This record gives sequence, structure tokens and C-alpha cells, in this order.
Amino acid sequence: MNKPINEMGWDELVPGAALYSFEGDIDYNIAEIQPEDRFYSETSSQSMSVGDWRVIKPVWNSETCIDCQNCWIFCPDTSIIARNKEMKGVDYDHCKGCGLCVSVCPTNPKSLLMFEEYESVENALGKWPEKKKKGE
Amino acid sequence: MSTQKVIKNLKSFSTAAERFEGSHLLCPGCAHSIIVREVLNATNDNLVVSASTGCLEVCTAIYPHTSWDCSWIHIGFENSSTAMAGVETMNKALRNKGKISKDTPTPKFVTFGGDGSTYDIGFQWISGCFERGHDFMYVCLDNEVYANTGGQRSSSTPIGASTTTAPAGSVSYGEKRQKKDIVSIMAAHGSPYVAQVAPNKWKDMVKKIQKGFDTKGPVFINAMSACTTEWKFAPNQTIEVSDLAVDSLVFPLYEIIEGRELNITYRPKNIIPVRDYLGAQPRFKHLFTPQFEYIIDEWQRRIDERWVFLQKREEIRL
Amino acid sequence: MNSKEMNLKSTEVWDGNMANSQALRQADVDVIAAYPITPSTATVENYCTFHANGYVDGEVIMVESEHAAMSACIGAGAAGGRVATATSSQGLALMIETLYQASGMRIPVVLCLVNRALAAPLNVNGDHSDLYLTRDAGWISIDAFSPQEAYDMTLMSFKISEHPDVRLPVISNQDGFMTSHTAQNVTPLKDEVATKFVGDYVQLNALLNFDKPVTHGVQTEQDWHFEHKAKQHAALMGSKKVIEETFAEFKELTGRSYKVVEEYRMDDADIAIVCLGSTFETAMLAVDQIRKDEGIKIGIVSPRLFRPFPLEEIAASLQNVKAVACMDRSAPGGTVGALYNEISGALINSPSRPLVTNLIYGLGGRDMTVTGLKDIFRTLDKDAKDGKINGKIQTLIGVRGPALEYYDVEGK
Repeated sequence: MNKPINEMGWDELVPGAALYSFEGDIDYNIAEIQPEDRFYSETSSQSMSVGDWRVIKPVWNSETCIDCQNCWIFCPDTSIIARNKEMKGVDYDHCKGCGLCVSVCPTNPKSLLMFEEYESVENALGKWPEKKKKGE
Repeated sequence: MSTQKVIKNLKSFSTAAERFEGSHLLCPGCAHSIIVREVLNATNDNLVVSASTGCLEVCTAIYPHTSWDCSWIHIGFENSSTAMAGVETMNKALRNKGKISKDTPTPKFVTFGGDGSTYDIGFQWISGCFERGHDFMYVCLDNEVYANTGGQRSSSTPIGASTTTAPAGSVSYGEKRQKKDIVSIMAAHGSPYVAQVAPNKWKDMVKKIQKGFDTKGPVFINAMSACTTEWKFAPNQTIEVSDLAVDSLVFPLYEIIEGRELNITYRPKNIIPVRDYLGAQPRFKHLFTPQFEYIIDEWQRRIDERWVFLQKREEIRL
Repeated sequence: MNSKEMNLKSTEVWDGNMANSQALRQADVDVIAAYPITPSTATVENYCTFHANGYVDGEVIMVESEHAAMSACIGAGAAGGRVATATSSQGLALMIETLYQASGMRIPVVLCLVNRALAAPLNVNGDHSDLYLTRDAGWISIDAFSPQEAYDMTLMSFKISEHPDVRLPVISNQDGFMTSHTAQNVTPLKDEVATKFVGDYVQLNALLNFDKPVTHGVQTEQDWHFEHKAKQHAALMGSKKVIEETFAEFKELTGRSYKVVEEYRMDDADIAIVCLGSTFETAMLAVDQIRKDEGIKIGIVSPRLFRPFPLEEIAASLQNVKAVACMDRSAPGGTVGALYNEISGALINSPSRPLVTNLIYGLGGRDMTVTGLKDIFRTLDKDAKDGKINGKIQTLIGVRGPALEYYDVEGK
């Protein structure tokens, strides 16, 4: 597709309003290629951002994280990036700030916490709570 | 032995390359997408997916964006199952005619439908597909209401829940009917495999999904989908509420093989009172009044009875 | 082509249903999903018998309702192969939402519609209410007047539907019982010739093509819906050209000539009737007789191509007549009949202003006889000679009881 879809007239659209996920033909198994190595079409929702839905955002502390992947599996928005069995970070373009990752994080202190959207990650990490003692 | 990829633990599961993209329009905290991700990540095979009109379909395929990295079709509200029956039959026809090489691995055919579509308006269509024995998996995303249109009751809505068309009020405790037992109904169709799953118990769910993928014939999976918007709890409580559901046995996790052998696949270490489950969701808050409190006792009695029944059935292998 | 050929005689004796079944067989359909309903049932039964005897390589699934039949056809068509089904009346009404879905999704499907009355009261006989119900569904709709034409139209429907410039579903209509259950001589093509004429199915955006994952059946909001419906309309309107080309190619092959608007003895006609279905052939007899016996110069016009409506050709065909009776074989539902509306709509922007009347006839399979038609011709002729519509605009013909007429002519 040369023209962005928003500039197309009715005559240039794919019949039946069909949408392609990828540019051109793919000759590999998508399930074996991570998203960063795929060639997405502009009509894949991957290219959009829903980050503006948030008023609070999760911040990840790699120091306390044990790579358990609870956050990865329970994120409804495919916004926890996991590679090679390790947690790599939060995809802020796709994160809606639901806070599920925080609620399922098992470490003490948690390795994911919600902060105000305008708080920088650096500041947030500086404010990280201490380990909770038993009974606290 | 499964023909699907081996998933030893959560760490190895996390190496999956996602085929369900972010920036869909589902609510923050929606269990639908957790379920879809677990299902799609359970296999590396080619996929054709269909969906009924509902939250999942509407939020993942609004022109001009699609969240599906696989072939996907939606026709209408009733007929995601029959759409897939058509795809599965065409695949058979093209293979028989040699238009698709016999060396091409058969793709997995997966259909998603909400409880509205599955239990109500699309029931005939699913029944027909299961009677005809098409080789596909049907996953019901059960949030116990017509969520996409604002929370109207369905035949999956459990007794005492407040919905917009059966609301709690000064003279009503909300839904008057018991939840339909869809798993038994689908097992009675002679389906080789039916199961009830919950996304919080991912290991149990993924095991059953893979078993379903390995089963020839129509497979029915009822997946509990705790709905933050319609059950009215905070978006970050989805997993917590799901845990309450399975630990109180309101949503027991089991499978039925060949319509006969029932296996309970999750036995909570501590069975918690139904009251705790109901109390976590404002859609039931009106039950915690002197006027309607007896409904909670009714709930507990029924859940207890059903747990006894499930265990007995598991014992006698029939 | 199917691996087992059927040796057909050069002239077969088939009813309209068998004509459908044979065309479906020769078209090498990949999946047929169907549900039985009178009077289309035999189309499917014959096909299932062919399948059971090894004459069909494709799949047949007998589904649990007509809605499911069309749903399965859409799914199978989107998967990437040739699909077809057959139904009538109530079954058509049940699958109506899926008709809109199929055309909006641009899935080629062929629907053999054996026209039957719509309930209530329940009636299994032939009339055009189900044909009319499909008017706005966005399908190409072609009408056959006889079993020979049913065979020809159904065969051509696949070629038209799958054409790269079209990719729209097609309805192949025929009258219930009057055509579907009347056996007549049919000259079929040999299997090999027919299959070659229809051609191979070409996949476009197929679900089973894993090189190009595609999403079918999206939702559009107010910012995109209009563009897609406009595109669909453009394709439907443009399909007329492909239909005419297909008719021309078919004529080369068989010598049988079809037009988007059929005419009979219109060259010197003073008056005309417009009708669909087997009435056209009955009217041919009536026209010949009355011309010979009473000198009334009458002709017949029929929009064989009902959708996309051939407005210009219809207007052209009626330029030289003084009166037109539009004969609608469907309960009019509180207004003038569909043909009256469409014919008047065609004429209003043309130089000619014939008198136009609307006759409702033949509902629920009530016969339209040669005698009955001749009465209609005489009435029409009198109107033409008097230069005015003597009665009202709409008359229900052949109903027992007091005369039923509606709509005074303005300024009378």
C-alpha cells in the first residue's frame, strides 16, 4: 500500500472491507517470529496506541523482578514484553493502565507498581517502597 | 502425547510469539483478551479464527484496524460456529481435490463466542455444528451477560445477578433463573471433549486447550471471563475475582471426555464460601441485605450440591 | 472437473430443479451447505444423489437451518472455494440477514432460489415474494423462465459471481412448481464443456491462504461505512457489463441468446406488459393469438436481469408504446408493486410517457392463463386507445369477491 488508508477513496479500498495484518506475503510461520521481526501493515492495530487511555501507569523495577512471567500472561493488552524467559519491560503504547500486572506480581516489594501518568520512570524507581515485613 | 508445543512452565510459555496484538479496544482489565492470548499462544500451528458479534469481535476488528495476526472471520451474532464449519469443510474439500497439498499441516480452527451468542442466539448453530462433528474448537467467553450492548441478561446470567434487563430493585433480586448448564448440554451432543476453564488457572487452561487441539472433532471450552465493567469490580481485580470463582467452586474446573468420563482438574486447597465470591462483585451487592440474604444461602447450598454431584460422577466414570 | 463424468444425452427431459442440480454438478462446486424447503428441495436431493454415486468431488453438508446454510457458504467461500446453496420462501426469509452479510463481505456464492410465496398464510406454491424480498440485499439477481434457462442461468451464475471485477453473490431465480416441477426438454452442455466454461475458482483474500492472513467481516463506523457500501454498489452496477459479456460467450458456445432485458414482439408493439418468470412464456402464446385473432399489437418486456436493475434498457424498450401494464406476482404490502415502481422510475426521466398500470396476479401459485392474459391485453388496449387509464392504477387480477382497485390517476 503506497497511500495511507485515510487518504484513499472508495475505489482504492480492499473489497469487502477486508484487512491485512502484514505487508505483502509472508513466507514464515508468524508463531515462530517475534513481533519486532514482523512486517506489520498499517491496518494492524499494533501500529496504533492506546496509551492515552491511561491516567496511571505501571513502572517496572528490574532489580526486584524474578522473571516469574505472571505479569506477562495476565496482561490483557500484550503490553508486557517477555523475551528469552525474561521480563524486558512495559510497552507503553499498548498499556491501558489496568493494573493487573501489579496485582499479580509476587515479589516483596512488588516489581511493578502504579504511578501517576506524568511521573517519570526514574522518579518512580527512586520512590520504590522497602520490603514489607511479615504482618505488615 | 500432545502434538502441540511443549509448555513446561510459565517461563517457557512466555517465549511465545503473540498473534493477538495490543491496541484493541477491550476494556482495561478485560479477561477476554487474557483467554484469547492463552488459547492462541498454546499452539504454533496455522490458525483460522472466527468470532461472533460481541465485545471481542467489535473491539478487535473496527475498520481500519485488526488485532488478529491470523486469518479471521466474523459474519454475525449467531453464526461464528457455522462460519467455521464452512471453513473446515472447504479445507476438507480442497484437500480431497488436491488443491491443498496433503503435506500441508491442517490448521487449527478456533471459534470464539460470548455467552450471549453461545447460550442464546447462536445455540442452534453450535448444536448443528457439534451434531455434524466438524473438527474445530469452540471457546465460549462467558461473562454471564450481553456485555457489548451494556449488560443485559443472558441464559448464562446466574440467579441473583443484577443486569440491565433484570435489575435488582425494591421488589426484585435481579435474575430469577438459574444459569444454564452449557457444558453438560455440549457433552450430551457426543462431543469428544468439553471442558470448563478459567484464565487465572493458566496451566489447567492451557493443558485443556492443547488437549482440545489434539482432539479430532468438535471441542467445547467454556471459559470464565470475569468482566470488570459488568460485574462492576475494579480493572486490576480480574485475576483476584477469577481466583474467588474457582476457589469457591462457583466455577468448577473439569473436563468431560466422550460425553461420559468426568475429571475434576482443580481441587482448591481451601474451599472458600460463596459469599466471599459474591461479595467481591457489586452486581450482587443487593443480596447482602436482610430482604434478599436468603439467596446467598440458596447459592451456597446449590454449589455444595453440585460439587457432590461432580465428585460422584467423577468416581463412577459415567 | 469432477473425476466421474456423467454421460448426458443431447436432449434431456429435466424439471427446473434437476436443471439446477445438473448445473451445480457440472460447475464443480467445492462446498454446498443446504437445508430442504419446498419447492427447492429436489435441487439439493438430486445433488446429494449425485454425490452418493460419486459424481461430485466436492463436499455437501446438510445443516440445521437456512440461516446456517448461507452462514456456512459464506465461511466456506471466504475460506477460498466455490460455494452454492438452494432455498425458497421461508428459508430465504430466514437467511435474509446473511444475504446482506455475504454481499457486503463480497463473497461469491450462487443461490438457486426457487420462487415461492411467503407466509402467512402458509403457501408452498410459486410466486415472486421471495424474489422481491432480496431486492436490497446487494446480490446480482437473474430470472429463468423455463428449465432450460434455469440450467443456463445457474451455470453462468458462477462465472459472473467469481469474475475479478464482480466478486458478488448471485441469485439464480425460477418459478416454484411452474418451472421447478415442470419437466421440459433441456439441451445441456457436456460435463467437460460446462466445467471449462465456468472456469477454475480463483482465490482472493482466502482464509486458508496462510501467506496472507486476512480479517473478514469487520465493523465500520460513520467514518468508513459509506465508502464500503459505495464500493459494493459500484461493483454491483458494474457487473452488468460482465453479465452481458458472459451472455455473449454463452451464445458463442450454445447458440442460446440471452439479454439483460428480454423482449417479445416489441418492434411494432403499441402496448406492452412487463412480467417475470414463466408468465413470460405463457404471455408469448397469448400475444401470438391475440395479434392474429384481434389485431392488438402487444409485446412483452422482462427485466431478466433484476439486479442490477437495467434502468436504461427498460426505458429504451418502452419508448414506443402507449400503455404498459406492470404485472407483479407478489403481495404488494400497501403500495404499488415492485415492477410498477422500477418501470415508472425508469420512464420518468425519459421522453416517453406511456400510461402505466399495476396488476397484482398469480399469488400463491394461482395460474395466469392465456385466456386471463388476453383479457388483460384487451383492457390495456382500450386504455391506450382512450388515451387514459379507465380504472385505477392498481388492480388485483383474478381474485374472487368485489373488485380490488387502488390509486386514482391524478387530475382525473
